[in-house]
Parts: sequence; structure tokens; C-alpha cells
Amino acid sequence: MITFERVTKRYDGGAIALRDISFHLEPGEMVFLTGHSGAGKSTLLRLILMLEQATRGQVIVNGSNLSNTPIRMAPRIRRGIGMIFQDHKLLNDKTVFDNVALPLMIAGLRYQDIRKRVRAALDMVGLLGKEKSWPMALSGGEQQRVGIARAIVGMPPILLADEPTGNLDPELSRDLFGLFRQLNEQGVTVLIASHDLALIRSMGKRVIVLAQGGLADDIAGADLAGARA
Amino acid sequence: MNIIRLRRKSRAWGRRQLYSFFSSLGTLLSHRLGTLMTVLVLGIAMALPIGLYVTVKNLRSLDLQQEQWGTITVFLHSSAGENEAMALSRRIGQELNASVQAVSPEEGMAQFREASGFGQALEVFEDNPLPWVLLVIPAPAGGVTLSEAVASIEPWLQEQAEVDFVQVDFKWLQRLAGLLELGDAMVSMLAILFSLAVVVVVANTIRLDVSGRADEIQVLSLVGAGNSFIRQPFLYSGFWYGMLGSLVALLLFNLCLHYLRQPLERLLEAYGNSFAVQNLDAAGVLIVLLAGGLLGFVGAGVSVERYLRQIRLGGMIGR
Repeated sequence: MITFERVTKRYDGGAIALRDISFHLEPGEMVFLTGHSGAGKSTLLRLILMLEQATRGQVIVNGSNLSNTPIRMAPRIRRGIGMIFQDHKLLNDKTVFDNVALPLMIAGLRYQDIRKRVRAALDMVGLLGKEKSWPMALSGGEQQRVGIARAIVGMPPILLADEPTGNLDPELSRDLFGLFRQLNEQGVTVLIASHDLALIRSMGKRVIVLAQGGLADDIAGADLAGARA
Repeated sequence: MNIIRLRRKSRAWGRRQLYSFFSSLGTLLSHRLGTLMTVLVLGIAMALPIGLYVTVKNLRSLDLQQEQWGTITVFLHSSAGENEAMALSRRIGQELNASVQAVSPEEGMAQFREASGFGQALEVFEDNPLPWVLLVIPAPAGGVTLSEAVASIEPWLQEQAEVDFVQVDFKWLQRLAGLLELGDAMVSMLAILFSLAVVVVVANTIRLDVSGRADEIQVLSLVGAGNSFIRQPFLYSGFWYGMLGSLVALLLFNLCLHYLRQPLERLLEAYGNSFAVQNLDAAGVLIVLLAGGLLGFVGAGVSVERYLRQIRLGGMIGR
């Protein structure tokens, strides 16, 4: 579903953010991406979203080789990816409903269908009663769940999350990861960038570790579970 | 199969347009004061060319081809009597394509007394000082304009021995026609200049709108909105600005016209026309509204296009 083949990303200033990275995510897999700040996690996500182009190597997402996909196709690639941000990136002058409905409006769905799917998505994250609320009136955890509802409402095959628990307390974080696992069990490929090692370990899923732009480790979920036991 | 896909795509397109349409209206209404100021500026800018256009149009509607404007007044020497006057009348009738009316000094005096109101004062003249006068009215043949006909007749008249002085009322008419042409040119020039102003004003307003909503644009593109989806609400906003500006311009213009109507009609009546000031017709109003909308659309397009080209999304993930 996501493949990196010997990917190097060098920024204009000359700084190397990613160095010869290779890995492969099968459809339906759930993987954590971890490493210290500046290890290259964000750059890796940016490459998948076509916010940056790899300097060398190939990034293949959902069957499209992004190295030879023109930039004007970026919106189409992004529509196949549900993206969750640390700071939610909600539009504060729109209601929860309108925020979640955004990807569907972009797709040009009928209003009746939009209503149905937005309600289903909000139900999934446990916010069905909050459709008419404004984002600022919600707690941090609720805002993050609105962000997740927006990411899943278009039923994309891939879900990316960038430090989704960054601003949440441990209990909410655990709930959130549980929600990701639930989505993954429905067949969505999930890639979560996080440095919450304890929580990652408790999930028993595959972990990719970056260090200084290089691939430091790629641990299978079974091994992780074994190590814990 | 393809047709079904096409239909589905076009319906999705239509629904996106509808969404943009309402979202742009919502934005304008949510910034009432800013919208009002922009629209007022646009309205004042557009009222000027509209006003000049209607003025020129009204002057044009005066019946400039009326025969009375083409009359040549031929004054004979005071020594010329009835015989000479009649002889010249006959020669004009034979030589020129024109009709002639002779006015004797007595008739002239009577007309003058009536028209000027100097009845008593004129009694001081022992002799009638007026000469014989011939009124020559050219009858231009097909294809020849009145002014050309007058121009061809005038020199011949001046050469005649009995003639003291030839007066052509026509000259001021030519000057008016010249002024009207100048007016037309000015309308075109002003229209171009002020259209440019509308484009620039809307472009600047939309530029501020766009940078005020930079975050929203970034979020939209991250969840997969294409440039056209991002652009559309702003284009519609531009259209609304332009169209509302036109509406204000029309209102302003009509307000001015309301005040100017009476003095204008009095002035024009003095030129012998019973006259009702003409306003823009329905087609004119429609054209003004649509032109305003279109110019606003163009201004918004210029602005948004520039912004979309320089938009950077890289900073959205990670710090």
C-alpha cells in the first residue's frame, strides 16, 4: 500500500532529512513510525502526501509512483489518504458537521449522502451529538476525534497520523489508539508517527524506527509482543 | 458506461459549484462592513462612465438632421431691391438643388419686432435698415449629407454680386457633432480606465480575503481539494463584488439624474427639442450588471491565481 524504495530527501539548504529509506506496508497493515525529533518522521509523511518530492528513490502510494506523478495530481493522491494532525487543523468558523463534511463536499457528493456519511463517521468516533457544535467549544480530545472523523469520512484506504496524541493525556491517548486499531480492523492501512514509546509497545504492532534520517530499526509486531512478554 | 460516468462527474461538479456559490455569499455577508466599503468604491468608480455615456446618448438623440439646421441665410446688399432679390431667387432655383424663400425688409422687420420685443424702440428708425434676405434650404440628393450639400452651395452664393453676406447656421451643428464624437471617445476611455480600476480593487480585496483564509486553504488542499475547488468561492466573491458595485453605480447614477433632470430638460428645450431625458434601457442595465460581475470575476481570478502559485504546504506537518 505504501512502498519506499531507497528514498533520499535532501532539502534545498543541503540538509539531508531522509537517507536511503526502504520499507513496504501491506494493505490492511497498522504500523507505527517513531524516532526522536528531527529523525525524519514528518518528512516521510510529507513525501507520502506529495507535499515534498523525494530527491532520490521512489515512493509508491496506493499504486501510484509519486516520483513520476505530476504535482497537479496531488489532490487526487491526497483524497486517497485520511490525514490526522497533531493540532487537528479544524476550521474554527465552521461547525463540526461542516468540518467533517469537507472531503465529501470536495468530492461533490449529494447532500443526503454527505449527511449520512458524516453522521456515520461522527458515530464511529463517539461524537454523534456534537454535529452543530463549534470546534472551539470542544475539548482537545474531542477536537482530535473530529479530525479523525474528517479523515475517515471519505473512506480512504490509507490513514496517516502525525503525533495524534501529542497534546492528550495518557488515558485519552490510549482511547485514540484503540480507535485507530478499530479502523485498522476494518481494513484501513494505518501509519502513525508517534514518540509515545510505551503506548506503541502496548499495541503490539509493527514499528519503524528512524534515527537521523536513516532507517534504524523495523520491528515486527509479533517480536514486539514477544519482547514484552 | 462512459456517459454514466460523465453524468456523475458533471453532477459532482455542479454540486461543488453550488457549495462554492453559497460559501462565497456567506463570506461576503459575514464581513458586512468590508463588503460595503468595497462595493461603494466600485459603485462610485463605475457611476462616472455610466453618467457620461447616458449624457452623450441623450445629446445624440437630439434630431440633428432637422432641415432647419441646414438653412443658409443669404443677406443681400442694401442697395439690392425686390427685382434683384427675385432674380437671384430664380437663378438659385435653376442652378442649385435647393429651395428658396425670399424675405422682404418689411417682413423681416415684422418678424424681428415680434421675436425680440423691441416693438417701440424700433420706431426710431425712419428707414427700414434691413436688407432683402434669402433663406436657402438645400435639398440634398440621395447619398449626400446635409453638411456636404451646404458646403457645396455656400461658395457659389458668396460669389454672386448681389450677395453681401452668407450665414450658415450649420457650423455649430458640426461643432456639436465633433463634441459628441469626443464624448464617445471619452466614454470608451473612461470605461477602460474604470474597468481596470474595478479589476484592481476587486483583486486587492480578494487578495486580503485569501491571505485572511490561508489556514483554511491549506487545510482544504491537505484533505484533497484541487485548485479549482479552492479558487471557486473567491471567483464567486469577485463576481458578487463586481455586480453589487454595478448596482450601487446604477443607484448613484439615478440619484444624480433625479437632481439633474429638470435643468437638463430646460436646457435642451432651449435648442428647440421637446425633450425627455432618456435613462439606460433594460438591456443597458443588464449589460452594466453583467460587466461589473465579469470584471470582478477577472480581478478575483488574477489575485487567487497568484496566491495559489506561491502557496507552500510543506510547513503543515511537523514543526
